[in-house]
Amino acid sequence: MIKYIILTLIAGIVAGYIGNITGSTLVINFVSEHLFDAFLILLLFVMGLSFGLDKDAVAKLKKTGVKVLVIPIATALGSILAGLIGGLILGVNTIASMAVSAGYGWYTLTGPLIGELFGPYWGALGFTVNFFRELITIIIMPLAVKLDKHAPVASGGATTMDTTLPIIVRYCGTDMLITSFSSGFILTLTAPFTIIAIASLR
Amino acid sequence: MSNLINLIIPLIAGILLGYFLRNKKRVKLDKVIFWAIIALIFSLGFSIGSNSKLLNSLPTVGLTAIIISVMTILFSVFFVKIAKKVVKIE
Repeated sequence: MIKYIILTLIAGIVAGYIGNITGSTLVINFVSEHLFDAFLILLLFVMGLSFGLDKDAVAKLKKTGVKVLVIPIATALGSILAGLIGGLILGVNTIASMAVSAGYGWYTLTGPLIGELFGPYWGALGFTVNFFRELITIIIMPLAVKLDKHAPVASGGATTMDTTLPIIVRYCGTDMLITSFSSGFILTLTAPFTIIAIASLR
Repeated sequence: MSNLINLIIPLIAGILLGYFLRNKKRVKLDKVIFWAIIALIFSLGFSIGSNSKLLNSLPTVGLTAIIISVMTILFSVFFVKIAKKVVKIE
């Protein structure tokens, strides 16, 4: 599975790069936004369907209950601490590196927002740090799931409600659908507020 | 925010339909899911490849970005592992 995903991702990147040079914004918007949204909505519906059909998955979720909320909280704390320690190791502005890490993988938000708050250098980092988080999450998924069933959800951060969700469900099982979606959902909601709150520490 | 609602509606619709169809026929959805993932990943790649802002910033900040990024992943996984032990999630 991961082989096909990585090959498709590379093919998509190459196609997107060529598409950008030949320069039809209409085509680019169509493929990267409308097509993306259409397949994501289809996937959410179909994955919801297989979750609803699966008695064991529903039972497992009921057993865990509201405890699933500790996963996004732990992910958020881990990410921000990683930003702090990473900033100290690299000898850069630790407030900015924490803010960048609080994007939880949501690069389309974090890039522009951090750029606004900390200037273009950190804006570029906001983009790339979170882009790599999504990319690495996808690539290491077969390994991460062996380490811990919830590791891909922790790794994926805010992306576990959309881009990485179907791959997580594929690797971790149908019962992870709600756990993954809710974690990504909560982190997506909190990312902008956390970034602005960290920036205000300056 | 409307985007979040756009995602929740199909998810809940799917779950409810699955729940009511539970004792009916078994449906094979694996193939559909596989091809939809492939299409999704292709368009994700496409949006990365066509994002010149992202690609242009890679050479200058790439290494720093990879270091911070790997650390956020490691710390998140580690914290989730601890949290799971504390609240006893399987």
